[in-house]
Amino acid sequence: MKKLFRAAAVAAACALALTACGGGGTAGNPSNVSPTGEIKPREISWLLSRPADGAVINIMKKLADDYAKDHPGFALNLITTPDRPSYIQKLETLAAANKLPELFDTDATPFAQQLAKQGKMVDADKLLKSLGVYDDYRPGALDYQRFDDGSLYMIPFQFELEFMWYNKSLLQKAGVSVPKSLDDIPAMCTALRKAGITPIALDGQDQWPLERYVAYQPFREAGPEFVQKLKKGEASFADPAGKKTVGWLAELGKANCFQDGFSAQGYSDAQNQFTSGQAAMYNIGTWELPSLATDKLNPAVRNDIDFFTLPTTEGAVTAANEYVSPSGIGMAVNSKTYDPLVSDFLKFALGKYPAEYAATGALSPTTTVQTAVPANATPLYKKALDAANGLGSKQAMPWDTQLDPTTNGRLQQELVLLVQGNITPEQFTQTMDDAIKQNAPKFFK
Amino acid sequence: MRGAAKAPRTERPTMLPNRSRTSVLVFLIPPLLLYCAAVLFPILQSLFLSFFSWNGISDMEFVGLANYVRMLTADDIFWHSFFNALLYLAICLVLQLGGALVVASLLTSLRRGRELIKTLYLLPAVISTVAIAFLFVRIYSIDPVGLLNQLLHWVGLGSLERAWLSDVNTVLAAVSAPEGWRFTGLYMLIIYAALIAVPKELEEAAVLDGASKWTLFTKIRFPYIRPVWITTTIMATTYGLRGFDIPYLMTNGGPGQSSELLTTYMYKTAFTSTDFGYASTISVFIVIECLVAVGLILFMLKRKADS
Amino acid sequence: MIVQTAPATTRTAPPPAPVYKPRRRKPSLYRTLSRVLIMLIVIVQVYPLAWLFLTSLRTEQDFATGDPFALPGSLTWENYARAFETGDLGRNILNSFIVTMGANLLIVLFGMMAAYAIQVLGFRLSRFVRGLFLVGIIVPVQIALVPLFIDYSTVNLLDTYQSMIIPLAGFALPMSIYLFSSFFEYIPRETYEAASLDGAGPYRIFGLITLPLSLNTVVTVVLVNSIFIWNDFIFANTFVLSEELKTIPLGLQNYIGAMGKVDWTATFAAVCVTITPLLLVFLVLNKAMIQGLESGATKG
Repeated sequence: MKKLFRAAAVAAACALALTACGGGGTAGNPSNVSPTGEIKPREISWLLSRPADGAVINIMKKLADDYAKDHPGFALNLITTPDRPSYIQKLETLAAANKLPELFDTDATPFAQQLAKQGKMVDADKLLKSLGVYDDYRPGALDYQRFDDGSLYMIPFQFELEFMWYNKSLLQKAGVSVPKSLDDIPAMCTALRKAGITPIALDGQDQWPLERYVAYQPFREAGPEFVQKLKKGEASFADPAGKKTVGWLAELGKANCFQDGFSAQGYSDAQNQFTSGQAAMYNIGTWELPSLATDKLNPAVRNDIDFFTLPTTEGAVTAANEYVSPSGIGMAVNSKTYDPLVSDFLKFALGKYPAEYAATGALSPTTTVQTAVPANATPLYKKALDAANGLGSKQAMPWDTQLDPTTNGRLQQELVLLVQGNITPEQFTQTMDDAIKQNAPKFFK
Repeated sequence: MRGAAKAPRTERPTMLPNRSRTSVLVFLIPPLLLYCAAVLFPILQSLFLSFFSWNGISDMEFVGLANYVRMLTADDIFWHSFFNALLYLAICLVLQLGGALVVASLLTSLRRGRELIKTLYLLPAVISTVAIAFLFVRIYSIDPVGLLNQLLHWVGLGSLERAWLSDVNTVLAAVSAPEGWRFTGLYMLIIYAALIAVPKELEEAAVLDGASKWTLFTKIRFPYIRPVWITTTIMATTYGLRGFDIPYLMTNGGPGQSSELLTTYMYKTAFTSTDFGYASTISVFIVIECLVAVGLILFMLKRKADS
Repeated sequence: MIVQTAPATTRTAPPPAPVYKPRRRKPSLYRTLSRVLIMLIVIVQVYPLAWLFLTSLRTEQDFATGDPFALPGSLTWENYARAFETGDLGRNILNSFIVTMGANLLIVLFGMMAAYAIQVLGFRLSRFVRGLFLVGIIVPVQIALVPLFIDYSTVNLLDTYQSMIIPLAGFALPMSIYLFSSFFEYIPRETYEAASLDGAGPYRIFGLITLPLSLNTVVTVVLVNSIFIWNDFIFANTFVLSEELKTIPLGLQNYIGAMGKVDWTATFAAVCVTITPLLLVFLVLNKAMIQGLESGATKG
């Protein structure tokens, strides 16, 4: 039996060593964006994390079918895992086993940056330029996908703006007006609470919505560079911008800004609180326009709803027209499997995609097309779309795509405790700075 | 292990006089192979990985015992989750075994409808954890008011109303309860079967001697079902230590680390932090923890039975 | 409360065998109490299923704004239509069925074989092997994910039915072996001896005596495991990529929209559809399963 054990251990070591080695060496050439040779149609796969019945998937399916008509034998296999944590697990295990498909979705995370460093993804900057579509894209949409060093490896398929939606009549009832500064919000919450209104509906279960709030103050106070420094340990929560955001979040908590028990409430619960007229504010992006700015919205609140963009603060270094404007999870191209076929299909699909996408009433990541306002839209729909034309040059990055995953997980957990008042701002600062110190070096060597 | 096999009394007598060595192998090898491929081999691989630092895409780097040192000395979340896991286990055990014992005893006093109740009682086990998690999130909710808080309000315990899943003091109990609730039926069935097997003559004799319900239970029934009780306890303990889905889906370990279990922490370390080496270290700890737990149970219950 | 229900109890329980007569008065309070308690517990156990079903019939608006625990204002089948439209429920059910059957086949056959070898045939290291299998009852399944994923990718098993079936069966095998061996212990030695005298070898005895006798235990093992396997998420999510192989728990993810927004009423309709096969099997075979569990348990 002992022998068997030893044999098993040796076999285990070999298997792992094999895959580990396999992980290193087999990447293609990331900067060779126009491969030469014959286009041989085959089935290619796109591993993605988008709604199964959403616009992106439906359009790409259709485009793939069109392409297959001229290229018999071609097929695009779309593998979607809409639940983001499950998706990330899948992506990481596939990367570890060196089994990434031709196309795959990822944010500009530190993990993705490591993949890029190892030459596993095609340089999207060069790719888009060689396809002649680079200049079509909104600069902000591409910037969102870039790594800190400015390199670009993901192609955006969406463009969204995040607003603070609010209920005019509830604000009126509490005698408050739209906040001029971020610092007005705690007092506003107190007034709303006094009037028996839930100030802000928050989806606590998915973690990212609360994490948006931690990004706001530093973005105004120190600009988008703050988080880039923070994640590497070059800035700290004890710095002025950090201190400000920690203090502000604690105040939001003290003023009971979010609904009771928000940490366990999901996306739909939070949205329902807002659309049923119980909560006064709700922070969400333009992907919700179909439910917030059309006649699908509960008639009881339909005429009371409006939005404002991220308020500024006194002495802010970023302008009022600069806020969170993500271009969604991006699509990376696997360099190992990149060949004339993939290249040709991308050229075909990326050229036709914007027009199809804009026709669904969504904002295209390019500036070449006009978004169609749906027939059942309220006036708010157009107002939201128009905001995309007046954007400044900087944008607030969501921190969950910036920090290393371990620190990010810790931040999400500690934020809830901070807002709930379970820990003091000092404890929060201490824990988070320690977490960054411990984890950042592994990812940002 | 070899010594144990050589000891004279351990040779297990065969039930079949004429069996050959090949027949044993024919029956034993396929299951053993499957088991090794799916369970033992991965455990060994985990053990192997636990001495490395590896994020899945970089080269593996041998770090010796560094992961173990970090786990035992420098990781506050690890210890937090360890104690959470113990408390989670305790609550599950009380609900599953205690609940099962109570219901099984009640059921023996029933003359009709036992079958129906047994079936109904098993029903929650077929619902998927996703649905259970969502249902209980609603039950615990405060804003809008959920069922639990509503009930408390009705019976005049309004002061106890709270956001059960957001309160760091109640969340662990709140996520343990659904897990306990789900499988009570299974354990109840097993214990019930043991209880009805208690010889009636024993009980009747005790009743004639004027024994109360309680003495009847502690002196006659429970000793009789002790072997089954041990099995059930081991089953419930190991399932409790494996607990994952419900806390992961309901709170994702939060708020803070208040409902983080070793299993959810291990999972996140592997698949969120991509720290496969360290996650394997936690896995190894979980395996050892489970082995120790089962050993302890066997030891304690044996001693009790001997005394 | 007690006063109210006491007469009802005596009415519903007609005087049975005379044995009970002398102690009928005394335990009636105890019995009533225990009945009330049992009723309460049954409500707690059954309620979620009822809630699930009712929610699947609510309109989205009603679900969003109404009290989730009240009776729905109006009923609609539209959620079911949406559930079938968004997801490929039929395919998911078929996949879950294949995986559940495949895993159960292995669990039952291999579990029986191992238990037969350990318990009936017996061999020198049988205690050690039994102990080895016990480890599998104990360890949590999550630890196998990363190693298995790597192994599968080396032997090209990723994204196949086998990749789900193997670990599901492997981790369920120990419990199955345990249940079968405690049952086999109960088959009298004389049965085997008689068969042996008739000249039957171990294979024939396995096929002609052990296998037919353990039908109840088979049902038990199959049902208990089906409950877990039908709802397994973790292995399926890790090892399956293509749409064609998605099992039910993965299929339920299709109702998750952008940024985590979930179409809950459709999800619940889908949940109702997907638990129905399991529920039906369960209700039909439940008696055999209970018997198997009970016989397994009392001999444990």
